[in-house]
Amino acid sequence: MAGEEENSEFYLRYYVGHKGKFGHEFLEFEFRPDGKLRYANNSNYKNDTIIRKEVYVTPAVVRECRRIISESEILKEDDVNWPEPDRVGRQELEIVMGNEHISFTTSKIGSLVDVQSSKDPEGLRIFYYLVQDLKCFVFSLISLHFKIKPI
Amino acid sequence: MEGHDDDVSMEDAVVEPMPRRTKGRGGSGRLRSQSKTLDHPNNPFFLDANEPPSQGYAPQRSIEGWIVLITGIHEEAQEDHILNAFGYYGEIKNLHMNLDRRTGFAKGNALIEYETFEEADAAISAMNGTKLFGRTILVNSAFMTGPFGSNSRRSPQLNRSRSPRMKY
Repeated sequence: MAGEEENSEFYLRYYVGHKGKFGHEFLEFEFRPDGKLRYANNSNYKNDTIIRKEVYVTPAVVRECRRIISESEILKEDDVNWPEPDRVGRQELEIVMGNEHISFTTSKIGSLVDVQSSKDPEGLRIFYYLVQDLKCFVFSLISLHFKIKPI
Repeated sequence: MEGHDDDVSMEDAVVEPMPRRTKGRGGSGRLRSQSKTLDHPNNPFFLDANEPPSQGYAPQRSIEGWIVLITGIHEEAQEDHILNAFGYYGEIKNLHMNLDRRTGFAKGNALIEYETFEEADAAISAMNGTKLFGRTILVNSAFMTGPFGSNSRRSPQLNRSRSPRMKY
């Protein structure tokens, strides 16, 4: 049954946000096992309002997501030595692929300087780039489908 | 036989996850649907008013056209290569070809938009499984009208759209 990765269960959720002067500002998206992609983005800055979108993606889209995740090798990492979430913000990355399940939490990462000065630069760097690649992919999907400009 | 099928059904897995290794501060307790922001009691969940009722596996129209996903793209490919290869099937209204944030090379996928279903379908039929820069690319619809894996019977045609009885 090895190599069944393709058909095994898949779930992905990413959250980044903080609570501050403008309330709870966040971005969150998830891919559910049935292909439902959900997206929420809230910025209260200048009275901006929350955006919520849902759409079903094809297995091809999910497969590409899985590929991006597998190639990053994030599943081999652990968040024990990553910075704790703080007042500046919090990030959460949750992935279920096959019988692996990660649920990582850390602070916001401003730049590679934060990565470099952390206790686990190698692991955090993988997280840092993976999150950007996933965000890019999701933003492309959402903006093309709904004709909105995320962020 | 049926017993084994049940074991791998996606629906079952959602309700009772199979034993799996969990790592991270979030722990296994926070698994899915624990989203702080996506689940909202008074979430008027948008679902486009003009979206047709879900019918399983049909490609889904986007606001202004039909979105096609190309995967397996060579890392050195450029947007021009995609435009040239796919422009033959219809005017490409939009192209997103993201770069790998670490390497700066192409990430390996592109999303393109055609105005009509026929154009998108022609591109998928003609280009899926062909080679670009010596690499096999896969070409599929990006969106569909309903969930997959929720019925016990899987549609085997999922990966490739067939000529549909769809109106566009």
